[in-house]
Amino acid sequence: MAPSGLRRPNDPPLLILVSLAEGPKHGHALAKDIEEFAGVKLGPGALYGAITRLVERGLIEPLGSDDRRRPYRITPPGTAALAEALTDMRRVTNAGLARLRLDPA
Amino acid sequence: MKPASLLRWYPRAWRERYGEELLALIQDTLDGGRPTWRLRLSVAWGGAHERAHQVGQAVRAGVKARTGPTRWGTALVAGLIFADLPLNLAQSPPATREWQATTALDAVIAAVALTGALILAGGLAALPALVRFVRAGGWPKIRRPVAWAAGATAVAGGGLAGVAVFTGSHSFAQLNVSWAILAATFATGFAMTAAIGLSAIAAAATARHLTLTPRVRSAQLVLVAVTPPLVTVILVTLNVWWSVTQGPAWLVLALVMLGLASVNAWQRIPRAVRRGRRLRAAAGGATIVNPSAAREHGRHRA
Repeated sequence: MAPSGLRRPNDPPLLILVSLAEGPKHGHALAKDIEEFAGVKLGPGALYGAITRLVERGLIEPLGSDDRRRPYRITPPGTAALAEALTDMRRVTNAGLARLRLDPA
Repeated sequence: MKPASLLRWYPRAWRERYGEELLALIQDTLDGGRPTWRLRLSVAWGGAHERAHQVGQAVRAGVKARTGPTRWGTALVAGLIFADLPLNLAQSPPATREWQATTALDAVIAAVALTGALILAGGLAALPALVRFVRAGGWPKIRRPVAWAAGATAVAGGGLAGVAVFTGSHSFAQLNVSWAILAATFATGFAMTAAIGLSAIAAAATARHLTLTPRVRSAQLVLVAVTPPLVTVILVTLNVWWSVTQGPAWLVLALVMLGLASVNAWQRIPRAVRRGRRLRAAAGGATIVNPSAAREHGRHRA
């Protein structure tokens, strides 16, 4: 089973990992990107709460920056956790689509 | 209301680490406008959640501190059992129960050998990572706990050998009334306790620094799940052996131990196997699956 916070498609930690899988981003860029690809508007409190937990678990890390807008990047364990979570979700999605006979395969 | 004043919802330590970043995000979001109720609620909820998290961490740290003595208690029991073994072996079982005693002792030895072999295999699997870590100049980071563990193991081994030699040269009747052997057994038991506890600390301190492949990490997950049931098997077989050589009361203790050994402990094994498989499948090409090692790696780069 995927680690906690990475089980539902709209969990903020999962959305942040998906966004950072593309490359490092700071808080505002993350919020904009997540709204764009997932249609989920994360408030500053929810976004930074999730960032704090992800940093604590070593799944993302801050990059050095002189600016107040500090960028973050995904770490190798973060990539592994994201892959595990997405694989779990794909299994459920595929089962649902197959039972609804909507699976093109 | 100024955006900066919204940060008061957060704990001070959090504000010092993330405050400026959150403020920059709020200002970017507002783009010169005034904070909306939705934004204020989001920040207040985030701050309250952070404070609750801080309290939770303090409680967990308290619980962890209380479980520390329990682990040392387990090491003490194991140490005293080990130290008492030479004396147990010197005691002849009743003639009518000799074959039962031999069978029970064989079962104890088999359980100890199996557990030891598994722990050794886990250590050998992590050996390449340890060699890489030491070659990369990591030895000073683990030198102290490893040196303490090695020293304690040498003292305990010496004590155990001394007790074994002493018991081998005296009859059980002589040993049974000897204060010297009693004192030596207790001293060796405490030395064994220190050796077991310090070795566990050294192993944990070393593991934190190692960069393990998904295959080794998944093998270690299984090892961690298998060890507690095997230790239960050792204790139960030990009690069965004592029940044959010293009296049936030990059999009652064996049954109590079996009852206490939760079924959960056995169920953890297939769960660990499945988790290991998923870890290997999910990690794909990634080789770093130890978050502590990854954090360490990040610090080196910085």
